[in-house]
Amino acid sequence: MAVFPSKEWVGAVLVAAAKSDKYKEAAKDWEGDFLCIIEGDEEFLKDMSRKKVLEGFMSFLDMMPAKARKKFAGTPMGDIFEKKLGIPLDASVKDINVDKISGLVSKLSLGDLKGACTYFWADFWHGSVRAMEPVAPGEHSNAAFKLSGKYSAWKMMVSGKQDTIRLIMSNKLKLEGDMSYVMKNMKGVITLTKEVFASVPIE
Amino acid sequence: MYFEIDPRLEQDKKLSLLREETHRFAEGVIRPAARKLDQMSNPSDVIAPGSPYHDVLRQMKALGYHRLFIDPEYGGLGLSAVESHVVLEELGWGSVGLATAIGVDQLGAAIASLFAMGDVIDNFVKPWVEDTEAKYHGCWGVTEPECGSDYILACEESFLPYVKELHHGEVRADKDGDGWAINGPKSGWISSAPAATHVGLHVTLPPHDSLTTGAFCIVPLRQKGVTLGKPIDKLGLRDDPQGDIVFDNVHIPDEYMLIRPPFYELRVGQIICVTSCFMGAAFTGLARAAFEEALSYSKSRIQGGKPLCEHQLIKQQLYKMFEKVESSRYYTRKIMEHVWNRIYTERTYDASSRHAVSAQIYGKRSAFEVATEALQIFGGYGLTKDFLIEKLFRDARAGLVEDGTIEVLGLSSAYNIVKEYQEK
Repeated sequence: MAVFPSKEWVGAVLVAAAKSDKYKEAAKDWEGDFLCIIEGDEEFLKDMSRKKVLEGFMSFLDMMPAKARKKFAGTPMGDIFEKKLGIPLDASVKDINVDKISGLVSKLSLGDLKGACTYFWADFWHGSVRAMEPVAPGEHSNAAFKLSGKYSAWKMMVSGKQDTIRLIMSNKLKLEGDMSYVMKNMKGVITLTKEVFASVPIE
Repeated sequence: MYFEIDPRLEQDKKLSLLREETHRFAEGVIRPAARKLDQMSNPSDVIAPGSPYHDVLRQMKALGYHRLFIDPEYGGLGLSAVESHVVLEELGWGSVGLATAIGVDQLGAAIASLFAMGDVIDNFVKPWVEDTEAKYHGCWGVTEPECGSDYILACEESFLPYVKELHHGEVRADKDGDGWAINGPKSGWISSAPAATHVGLHVTLPPHDSLTTGAFCIVPLRQKGVTLGKPIDKLGLRDDPQGDIVFDNVHIPDEYMLIRPPFYELRVGQIICVTSCFMGAAFTGLARAAFEEALSYSKSRIQGGKPLCEHQLIKQQLYKMFEKVESSRYYTRKIMEHVWNRIYTERTYDASSRHAVSAQIYGKRSAFEVATEALQIFGGYGLTKDFLIEKLFRDARAGLVEDGTIEVLGLSSAYNIVKEYQEK
């Protein structure tokens, strides 16, 4: 099982999207990129105190150039890395003592996580996923759509345990952008969740 | 039982059994109760303790008809479109008034089951689904004293200038601590309201500048600040008690606000698609009931030395009625298959509203035309309370107004035809 989000998860999703004829057909008219914002919550803390999940998450951040990672400086997430966990923002996953860091994460409180977010950008274009990568705060802020929510809600969506519409309508995930465009292309959104995301089992 | 040309009725034993079971319920429970309720001179007696209305609700819940539209993941029956259509036609055959009570009863819970999570599912949907004694009874609050059928057009883009100018919504929800405070009146046409425990309610949210800032919420009605009106006295569908609801600072939790902007504008049309299919199927049942009454009467009533049905003029009338019933059944069924597929199977919520609304109009119009022809065959006897056709005729006439006048429904469909005919 892959960790969400991780380098392994991104790779598996890209492969699944490329292989899925159902997705290609359902999303053939879709044009629009997403800035995705994952907010830390209780489940995030719990998961990140597990070595495998922490390692996976660090591999995700590692996909960003060190220069981009430095843009987290001064943000709640940047403060957690630098001040609470003692990880320099430009450090690579290889430089990190996962045993030690997962122990430190388990001592964090929900209050420490206030405002802490991770970002990724995904570019969907006529049935293909042209890009999916972690980004720094402020990057791709002009994306056509912005989808934000707690880590636990994201996990429910990408695992396929809960449908995207229910998560959005019950305010677990917040979608900003041209809503009528999304509604007209709902089949593509649903197929992406069911056929692509849910085909990659997560921790 | 009548012969159906849809091969699925012959091939699928489960489907034919479902039709027989529902017909038994319609014939043995709904129709006798509906006739008693229809003849009550005081409409308040319809919902009085001991009224057959409550017996029907109890049996309906015990048999699970209150779970027709609930998401199968949360206890819904998971019926296919054709199964749902067969059930609704039979319920409508029994009586459209009580069928309407069965339909509006579950509307709020059905929408919650499709879109809500967490507490709403645990504290509202699950108890609703598990209720087999009619402890809960729902209604659907749409029309307002100053805005009747027009409410249907609230989210139609071409209609916005008119809606924005004239209709600002009388029932309003404003933030109240961690929830919402509801204020204002819904009109006297809210089906089942006088007996209801909950309402699936359409409201406007701040800034209340038009119906397009609308929302849909669940409001428990047995609480301070809610006034339920008495059942109104009316021409037809008298077994469906209708009355007003007035809200005076009624509090609901935030999560009970199920559909908000911008989703309201996009989703309310899909709710109308489901309810329109319901009405199309139920009124097809009424049309069939009227036709069968006329056919049966025409075989037993002797005029000019032979049964009525031996007269060519009557034969011609019977044929016209048959054609209308059959076309209504298969037109409304086909549209229900489309709507169910988009809403319950694919979950894309992009059913064609022009088709769904036309199912409602076609079903209602067929029912009225067939009931009119049928009453004519009964002659003077058709005007008396002794024959069911008199009730069916009044119910069919009421249908041309209830749940949106067919003129306004047609207008809303026409806007969609002009705008999207070639798109999907």
